[in-house]
Amino acid sequence: MLQVYLPIAEISVNLMVMLGLGAAVGFLSGMFGVGGGFLLTPLLMFSGIPPAIAVATGANQIVASSVSGALVQWRRGNVDVRMGLVLILGGAVGALAGVILVGALSEAGQADLLIVLGYVTFLGIIGTLMLGESIRAIRRARAGRSASPRKPGQHNWVHGLPLKMRFPHSRLYISAIPPLVIGALVGLLSAFLGVGGGFILVPAMIYLLRMPTNVVIGTSLFQVIFISAIVTLLHATFNHTLDAVLAFLLIIGGVIGGQFGASAGQRLKGEQLRALLAVMVLAVAIRLLLGLMLTPKDLFSLTPLLGAD
Amino acid sequence: MRRAMRFTFIACLLCAQLPALAAERTDKEVVQFDVSTREISIQSNFTGIEIVVFGSIDSAQPRAAGQTPYDVIIVISGPKQALTAWRKERVAGIWMNGASESFVSVPSFYAVLSTRQIDTMAAPTTLKTLGIGIEDLRLGGVEAEGLPGDDVFRAALVRLKEKRGLFQQEEGSVSFIGRSLFRGSVDLPANVLLGRYKAQVYLFRDGQLLSKNDSSLEVRKAGFERAVYLLAFRYPFIYGLAAVAMAVLMGAVAWAAFRRE
Repeated sequence: MLQVYLPIAEISVNLMVMLGLGAAVGFLSGMFGVGGGFLLTPLLMFSGIPPAIAVATGANQIVASSVSGALVQWRRGNVDVRMGLVLILGGAVGALAGVILVGALSEAGQADLLIVLGYVTFLGIIGTLMLGESIRAIRRARAGRSASPRKPGQHNWVHGLPLKMRFPHSRLYISAIPPLVIGALVGLLSAFLGVGGGFILVPAMIYLLRMPTNVVIGTSLFQVIFISAIVTLLHATFNHTLDAVLAFLLIIGGVIGGQFGASAGQRLKGEQLRALLAVMVLAVAIRLLLGLMLTPKDLFSLTPLLGAD
Repeated sequence: MRRAMRFTFIACLLCAQLPALAAERTDKEVVQFDVSTREISIQSNFTGIEIVVFGSIDSAQPRAAGQTPYDVIIVISGPKQALTAWRKERVAGIWMNGASESFVSVPSFYAVLSTRQIDTMAAPTTLKTLGIGIEDLRLGGVEAEGLPGDDVFRAALVRLKEKRGLFQQEEGSVSFIGRSLFRGSVDLPANVLLGRYKAQVYLFRDGQLLSKNDSSLEVRKAGFERAVYLLAFRYPFIYGLAAVAMAVLMGAVAWAAFRRE
């Protein structure tokens, strides 16, 4: 049993467990083509890493995985840099708000609870939506029909807002307000929960901004690099909750797991893959919720008193 | 000036002699001790450490009839920290932190080792005055402000600290080798705080404090862990930048190594 001491978390963890955790999440994220932060952070919390450190360190790991992913997409010309920059601008504001929020809640003793509650809500909604969608898709596939593709030129209320900008890569001429707001929301979520936010970004880009599907993944990954980098930097600077040694182990594991995941993912059907992921997301949400609902073994807990020296 | 200095010097010599003169016996027992590790370095493989405290009693007297054997208490206490103890309460089906009490001067580590139960060695008031024992620790909670403290939070803090191995009271863990040599050992868990730790040894007989001695040990991070820790707290922005750069680099390397184009 190889133990590694984490200098910021100030605990000793098993090297193989942390590498394995990174690999497992990397495998899943490679298989499903998702960032994996939404699974990594709760798993870190389950393995005894304090939630605030799990969030900041998770964000650092996401930087690495999104760089790899974004480079692949970049080579294929699937990144709308202009849209990405607008999203990042909004995201930076959201991230700052999120980091301040985590700091303030820690002081009030409620950060852990709200991070977990945030996860339960977030994973519950996403899991339910994904499960519903994939079941419908599986049924459709059995009935022999195909999903309806995006109809170009179709507009919704989002397109009526002012401050219009041209996004040539996405062949869009829309207001900058929706991408700014979406970016800010993702930034907030990222800072608060240590997730990349691709889960929110991808559907929002497709359904709200009506971006072409081929640039959605690349642009989302491009934005996630910067937002998670900003989140990492802010948590490190203001909350001192980033454990770089832990991040290093998770990245190593994640890179290896990601490669196997990607090849495993190619052998499964899209709808089945999504249904499987949805079930997993819901399982994590239920596990977290149970943790809040069941009578705790110990009603008392200790936290460092901030502001006192 | 010079005269004044000489006077002070003589006065000091007198001061030094005074306790010895005041004592009934001139060959009063004096306890001496040392710790096995004065500098504890926390490195990547740190999983806690056992510290041995060993010492001897100078001019130890044979036990007279009716006298108890020598009793030794070893106290090791870590740097102070400020903690809040929370009690979870059920709100709308969910357990959340409710009432709390803050303690501003909690020793991050506190171990009491002794030859036998400490309340049989000395009167409770003696122990209280010396501040020996977990029960008599001053933690800086509300009772410090003269308010009636809610013992629930203090008890919870002590219990949680004990569970993590950060508060230990091991009665009977100090043993004598022969008449004047003694040793005791304490386990420092992996989650100890950094800083200077105080080690104190008290020698008792018949409920009387005969001698007391102090020493200290230092717990610090070493090597790479120390560098990471210092960077994270002294230059957090640079630390954050370095962590991001590491992630970007590793991500790019992973992409280059596994690309399938």
